[in-house]
Amino acid sequence: MAKTKEEYLEELSNAVVEMEEDDAAEIAREYIDEGHDAYEGISYGLVDGMNKAGELFEEEEYFIPELLACSDAMNRGIEVLSPHIERQEIKDEKIIVIGVVQGDTHDIGKNLVALLEEVAGYKIVDLGKDVPPRAFVDKAEEVGADIIALSTLMTTTMPRMKEVIDILKEDNIRDKYKVIIGGAPVSPKFADDIGADGYSANANGAVRLVQELLG
Amino acid sequence: MDLSSPKERLFRTLDKKSTDRKAVICPGGMMNAAVVDVMTKCGHILPAAHSDADLMAELARDVSKETGFENFGLPFCMTVEAEVLGSEIDMGTLECEPKIKKEVYPHTAEVEYRDIKKMLRQGRIETITNAAYSLSKDGDIPVIGSLTGPISTSDSIVDPMTFLKELRKDKENAHKVVDYVTDFLIEYAKQLIEGGADIISIADPTATGEILGPRMFGEYAVLYLNKLIDAIHETGTRVILHICGNMKSVDNYIPKMHMDAISTDAMVNLVKLKSKYPELTTMGNLSTFFLQTHDADSVATVTERLVAKDIDIIAPACGLSTTSPIANLQAFTSTVKESR
Repeated sequence: MAKTKEEYLEELSNAVVEMEEDDAAEIAREYIDEGHDAYEGISYGLVDGMNKAGELFEEEEYFIPELLACSDAMNRGIEVLSPHIERQEIKDEKIIVIGVVQGDTHDIGKNLVALLEEVAGYKIVDLGKDVPPRAFVDKAEEVGADIIALSTLMTTTMPRMKEVIDILKEDNIRDKYKVIIGGAPVSPKFADDIGADGYSANANGAVRLVQELLG
Repeated sequence: MDLSSPKERLFRTLDKKSTDRKAVICPGGMMNAAVVDVMTKCGHILPAAHSDADLMAELARDVSKETGFENFGLPFCMTVEAEVLGSEIDMGTLECEPKIKKEVYPHTAEVEYRDIKKMLRQGRIETITNAAYSLSKDGDIPVIGSLTGPISTSDSIVDPMTFLKELRKDKENAHKVVDYVTDFLIEYAKQLIEGGADIISIADPTATGEILGPRMFGEYAVLYLNKLIDAIHETGTRVILHICGNMKSVDNYIPKMHMDAISTDAMVNLVKLKSKYPELTTMGNLSTFFLQTHDADSVATVTERLVAKDIDIIAPACGLSTTSPIANLQAFTSTVKESR
């Protein structure tokens, strides 16, 4: 007996929560073969699973190895579904340029933020780690970004965050972007001090922050 | 034997024997105290001292003399192990510590298993061994050789995100890699001890409850850290282990680990930890953020409170910022030394 669309969406979600990559790809293929909508498969199936994984992470049921495995399962499903998405459904997407500031190579936190922002529907341009201040600004200009997201784990590299904002001011483009910061040593006060638009203590909070800033 | 020499005091503390007062140390490696103030004052500077045994020993002497920490701590970074195992290293600058530029392997399945004895003659292993030898001639001050732990070294040679995933998804290869890295660390530690290191300190910042979760911490971190510690104990050498993060999800594992002292980050309540597990010898844990950002008087005040608590060895909580003022470090160590 053929499964209903809702059953497929639930199976997609479960495959992500259960970290079953092959299942996620297999169910996604069946789902498309049955003629269901690819965009809904991603947002109500795979992303729903990733949101549940995110909740388990917040509840300390899942940790980083589990979250990464869930994200792999989600990506395998997305690979199958995304070629079938009708283009106009994503024409309005907002762009986040993200990276770890120069002098720092700790990127686990940044990767989690990038992952959850992507799940939330934003386009991510990930500059990686050890990124010079000027590179953030140049990339944001090039891709027409909405948000610049800066991460650091170390106190010694915190001043690089301010340098990004100073470059935006010098170039008279400060108002074109919302700048958000995160990482263990920074705080809401530090965000205020350097003139950033927002701070988040964790990846889930970063998604809410971007949603608020972009209204 | 002088029971109040820094070396004897630290040994006795690690052996759970009585001492005249608490020791105040900073072991090197992740807890590197070669701050910019010391280097600019004394002239033995990084990054040059990372690769030159004489400079390294001189800088370790400067650090102990200028800050008052009662040990020599080697090396000044966490990249020695990964470099020998094949990763690309950026040696950093005066104020920025060396870091991994690129992990050599994309997956655990691709790790190449090389001859450990040969690797001991590569990279900066001999530099550090020779520096330890030179410092061991100074007598009363304990030489602490610092290792990057097996989990963190593994994720410095395999792409870290992939490595963390493969702890679950490719357990066979993940175990093989961490075991190989542990075998290498054992031989490296033995060489440091033969060279003159009195104590081995292990910091494994990836091996935290917050990153791994309790299951993976138990399956990997406890197993391989204990294997490493047991092998070091066989040489008759004492071991300090630093666990990063809040430890909340993994503190039940701590009594199962074989170190002689446990060092923790600032957010861990060491008094509570010890009242829960009285058999532990604890070390810590003045906030390094506080040490960097407050003045010497406030450092002295919080240090007095710390010394009054049931904590066995006094130390900075985690990695010191290289811009921490020398006056603050002096206030920290002298407050401990004046206490009884």
